[in-house]
Amino acid sequence: MTTLLTPQKKKAAAFRRGVMTFLILTVLTVVELWVSSATAGSPALLFIIALAKAGLILWYFMHVASLWSEEGH
Amino acid sequence: MATVATHAAHSRLKFNRLGLWLFLVTEVFMFGGFLVMRFHLWGNTRPDLDQTLGFIVTLILLSSSFFMNRAEMAIAHDDRKNFLVGLLITGVLGVLFLVGVVGFEWRGHVRPTDGVYGAVLYGMTGMHALHVLSGIIFIFVILLNGLKGRYSSADHWGVEFCAIYWHFVDVVWVFFYPALYLIGTVAHV
Repeated sequence: MTTLLTPQKKKAAAFRRGVMTFLILTVLTVVELWVSSATAGSPALLFIIALAKAGLILWYFMHVASLWSEEGH
Repeated sequence: MATVATHAAHSRLKFNRLGLWLFLVTEVFMFGGFLVMRFHLWGNTRPDLDQTLGFIVTLILLSSSFFMNRAEMAIAHDDRKNFLVGLLITGVLGVLFLVGVVGFEWRGHVRPTDGVYGAVLYGMTGMHALHVLSGIIFIFVILLNGLKGRYSSADHWGVEFCAIYWHFVDVVWVFFYPALYLIGTVAHV
């Protein structure tokens, strides 16, 4: 069953998604700082966290998933 | 007739996006080259940079991406006020990031002439700062156009372009921040 959202609800959902993405990015940045001091700057761990952060930005902020859709973002 | 016009507009949008992403791919090669240079020359070491400053400028840039996303979502729903406010905050945060890197980090104890540490640090932060600067100029151009009412939910390619470019600059910093500030043990320059 599909649920049709009103434009207001769609906008609120998009804003909420943005807030969640930002919060996760901030937490991951704090984790990076902790990993750096706890592991003497482990390149592998820090690179994995950076990949996760980049993935979040690409998916939720740069809308890679809807790149070929006919709608604007 | 209207269907043909709509189809043409959608095709144009797809080609615009393709062009932008191809451009970003070329940028990935360039910034990727900088990262390779950093690991080749520094290995598992790094200069003793100001950790607090690095963390703060990173949070500033992440916040600017959040507000840029908010501005883009706002114009996609014809919310002009939130669009303009979001864009303005993004631009101001971009300026603060530049001040943090160029105004403070570049006045730290590592100088451009300090061998490989100085060369890599200033090369990477300098090229990234140049992109942040061009992004800020882009944001203020879009802001001026927005004040003139040039964008709507149906037509805001300029905003989308600016937003994706800005997020890309953020993605670059997501890799540069650990590479410069966190990875490896401190080498006293």
